[in-house]
Amino acid sequence: MKKTTIAAAVLIAGTAVAAFAHSGATGIVKERMDAMAAMGKAVKTVAPMMRGETAYDAETVGDAARLFQQHAGESMTKLFPEGTGGMPSEAKDEVWTDWDRFAALASQLEEYSEGLERAADNGLGGMGGNTSTDGASMMGGGSMMGSDTTMMGGSAMMGRGGMMDAAAISEMPADAAFAMTTQVCSACHERFRAEED
Amino acid sequence: MRRFLTLVSGVAVLGTAGLGAVIAWPVGSAVTPIATEGNVDRGAYLARASGCIACHTNFEAGGAPLAGGAPLETPFGTFYPPNLTTDPEHGMGEWTAEQFAKAVRQGIGPDGTPYYPSFPYTFYADFSDQDIADLWAAFQTVPPVDEPAPVNDVEFPFDQRWGLKLWRAAFFYDPDTEPVEGRSGPWNRGRELVRGAAHCGACHTPRNLAGGRDIGASFAGNAQLPGGSKAPAIRPKDLAKNDWTVSNLAYALQTGITPSGDAFGGSMAEVVREGTQFLTPADREAMALFLLNKDTVEAENSASN
Repeated sequence: MKKTTIAAAVLIAGTAVAAFAHSGATGIVKERMDAMAAMGKAVKTVAPMMRGETAYDAETVGDAARLFQQHAGESMTKLFPEGTGGMPSEAKDEVWTDWDRFAALASQLEEYSEGLERAADNGLGGMGGNTSTDGASMMGGGSMMGSDTTMMGGSAMMGRGGMMDAAAISEMPADAAFAMTTQVCSACHERFRAEED
Repeated sequence: MRRFLTLVSGVAVLGTAGLGAVIAWPVGSAVTPIATEGNVDRGAYLARASGCIACHTNFEAGGAPLAGGAPLETPFGTFYPPNLTTDPEHGMGEWTAEQFAKAVRQGIGPDGTPYYPSFPYTFYADFSDQDIADLWAAFQTVPPVDEPAPVNDVEFPFDQRWGLKLWRAAFFYDPDTEPVEGRSGPWNRGRELVRGAAHCGACHTPRNLAGGRDIGASFAGNAQLPGGSKAPAIRPKDLAKNDWTVSNLAYALQTGITPSGDAFGGSMAEVVREGTQFLTPADREAMALFLLNKDTVEAENSASN
């Protein structure tokens, strides 16, 4: 009987904590969650354009790129002061133990989204945004395995020295530029965001 | 009491005999010579699709390609994906194509040791001789790295490799990648990739206490992945409920972007970055068709109207 009571108490407490995790963010944690959500909303609007499911609109893409810039770089890192991890935040401790890499990704997002803003007028490339390498260098040549930027040899994208600048991104078709930009989101989430349920 | 003791000693005797039998039990089957000429490009493509590069390269630590991967922390211990470069001592430099075939398709090393299932060889069991020859040709182009991967850190009883023979007997399921009659070419291609090379079920199918996949719950998700990652359910009904379509799923395999505007994190980010983004658009669409169980994109559109 007593056990049941304890179990019930634990269950109730657990539920309360879980509910808190999803809605109880306040202050700076809420602020950064809102910033992420705003970017996610922009991605949700723009991604179907990149897939050709909705009509391409350069202005909307430009708006999204400006929104990313607004929330990237120092605007992002200043929302992660030390000691703001743990529930209800989804930020992993690695944000602070590997701060330089976190900050580098935040600034890479800023750089890439500047490129994306300028690429918005380029329109779609018709490749569905094949981002990494062109088909020839990916599939061709016997030296592809083992060098830095090829098929068998590590990622062309986020690997050592793989960062591009805004000018290079700005010359890509908009769908490729967009995919380059959002791959930064993924790279950062992979290392620094805890998985949700 | 005496009866009980008799029973106990009986079990012990049987157990010892059984253990001896298991330890001596030869596993795997002979490999016929891999006579075909391999194609490096096809092999590199298949290696990308199969996650060889993703798992056997330690990107975090700036490791050389295929020289050994980041540690995989599991309830059974910590596994270190080995060096697969052409180094003769620490890599596969001295291997034959047949040994390579046995390792990939059967999960058995050149010295006869069964591998831990952290290496998802069970998914590769249907690779053709041509696939193996292609992969082998591609691996020959990897520069040697003269460094061993760390030894797996596995405690008793999981360090007893004979136990893996029992594991194999219980959980080495056929990947079932052969074409199904009556389904479209792309659907069948997707099936081959999803259930074979891409080994989606390694993470998205729950595992039992022995680390075997719960085949009855294929693609029902797994909340306890190594490293604390979680893999959601990806059965057609789960995907449909979360707004996945053939188009946006194929796009996600290319870019990591989800229908809600989120970007993959966790292990799926790595799967896209080091694997599926290198696939052809047709192959990504095929995977999406199979996962959503649609024969064609048109079939999906007409179904939703």
